Amino acid sequence: MPQISPELLKHSVESLDIGVFILNKDMEVQLWNQFMSTNSGLPSTAVVGKNLLELFPELPQRWFKKKIEGVFILKNRSFTAWKQRPYLFQFNHNRPVTGGVENMYQNCTFIPLKDSAGEVELVCITIQDVTDEGISQKMLEGTMHRLEESSRTDGLTQLLNRSYWELCLARECKRSVRYKSKTSLVMFDLDHFKAINDNYGHLAGDEVLREVSEAIRLTIRDTDIAGRYGGEEFGVVATDTDLVGVKLLAERLRKSIEELDVHYEDQSIPVTVSLGVAEYDESFSSHESLIKLADEALYYSKEHGRNRWASYPLDE
Amino acid sequence: MKELPQYTEDQRDCLQEIVNVAMGQAGDSLARLLEVFVTLSVPKIQTLSPSEVRVALRSFVDSEYVSAIRQSFHDSKGQDGLRGEALVVYGDSSFKELAELLAYDDEELSEGLEQELLLDISNVLNGACLNGIAEQLGEELVYSPPSILGQHVPVEKLFQQDQMRWEMALSVEINYSLEQRSFNCDLLLLMPDTAIDYLANKLDEILEDD
Repeated sequence: MPQISPELLKHSVESLDIGVFILNKDMEVQLWNQFMSTNSGLPSTAVVGKNLLELFPELPQRWFKKKIEGVFILKNRSFTAWKQRPYLFQFNHNRPVTGGVENMYQNCTFIPLKDSAGEVELVCITIQDVTDEGISQKMLEGTMHRLEESSRTDGLTQLLNRSYWELCLARECKRSVRYKSKTSLVMFDLDHFKAINDNYGHLAGDEVLREVSEAIRLTIRDTDIAGRYGGEEFGVVATDTDLVGVKLLAERLRKSIEELDVHYEDQSIPVTVSLGVAEYDESFSSHESLIKLADEALYYSKEHGRNRWASYPLDE
Repeated sequence: MKELPQYTEDQRDCLQEIVNVAMGQAGDSLARLLEVFVTLSVPKIQTLSPSEVRVALRSFVDSEYVSAIRQSFHDSKGQDGLRGEALVVYGDSSFKELAELLAYDDEELSEGLEQELLLDISNVLNGACLNGIAEQLGEELVYSPPSILGQHVPVEKLFQQDQMRWEMALSVEINYSLEQRSFNCDLLLLMPDTAIDYLANKLDEILEDD
């Protein structure tokens, strides 16, 4: 086998497309390859023989020293990964046009260099530019997040869809038992929605649903959870709220929807809702019982004049 | 779970001795690095099938939720030599007191920093005990970067059964605890299939030399 000369070996390390540098126990740089020079702006002549932590005071000093100490004591490799620590050195990345991130993401490996006696006097550190991986991972995470959101959201109204909303309601009911807090529910339904569709058309009906949903969003508190339960039926979970509180919420919802000024193709469409409220009790078998009782109150409102709320128990 | 039926009594004793010596060294170097006394349990050596790994994990982690790190290691022979993965399993206690030991306490322990701390401490524990074993076998091990298997999850959720496509693995189980700290964790070294035979030959060589 042809012998590789030390010059050739040195040249190889110099031209690697990863950063390579070597430190002794006093943190003095012993080797600094081309990648490191180019990215740091410091040529090897300005670095070799100097203390790394003095050259780069922005490095997390205590942590870095401990990391190096571990490599010397345990004679063991050590690592950093961009996912937890985006970079060791604050370098620019090589995607000035399409990057969309501030700095070069880096995966680093700290390698103990054993001499012929098996002793470790030097540590070699390699720096891999993983900006591309970082960017695609971030894009993937963004997509996953949007996918998760859309699987929970009703397309037309942008409120939670029924299955996810029910999941939230069930969770709140369980939580209220565990923490002895109160959970209440408002169920409501648009009055004469069929007539709106018949008189103004289905597109007008969609517009009404959208505007009612926006009114719901503006009326409820941050801790309330609103969802589209069915065609024109909605539910709002009122967390940490008793029957007295949820009646106030129901009245606010009724009023803000009644005051809506829905326009569709120059026609003004009057919109009202009928509501029913109920409070969760730990004797209930599940959240479905709560929906059933709020629904009963809702039908009571429908039968007794509409554009009003009723609460369970109905004889109150 | 069997006490290494593939091995002769001599081989078993020899392996136990090697692992015990390695743990002594690991305890020393960890104490030097972390500046705190580290207690290691007597290593338990056995063979496990994939389904038994879960049972083993559940039996030694006394916590509903756990975090776990995995890391691969192999010697210079690659596929045919000594190779496997190390699992380090942490109960869901606070990692704050660990932060100070590896100088992670200069800033608030964010989620990312907590992950890095877990990866780092796992790498340190794995290296400390595996290097000692490898050295006595006349081998040098190479490690891949560690990665997260699960964070704050039930033991059952750590991995799918079909992730483990091997028949039988040699398992070395060690418990670590730190003096005057509530922190403790379990390390499981798993060397599947061919590594079992490889190690048996290696032990014979050592026994012949004695």
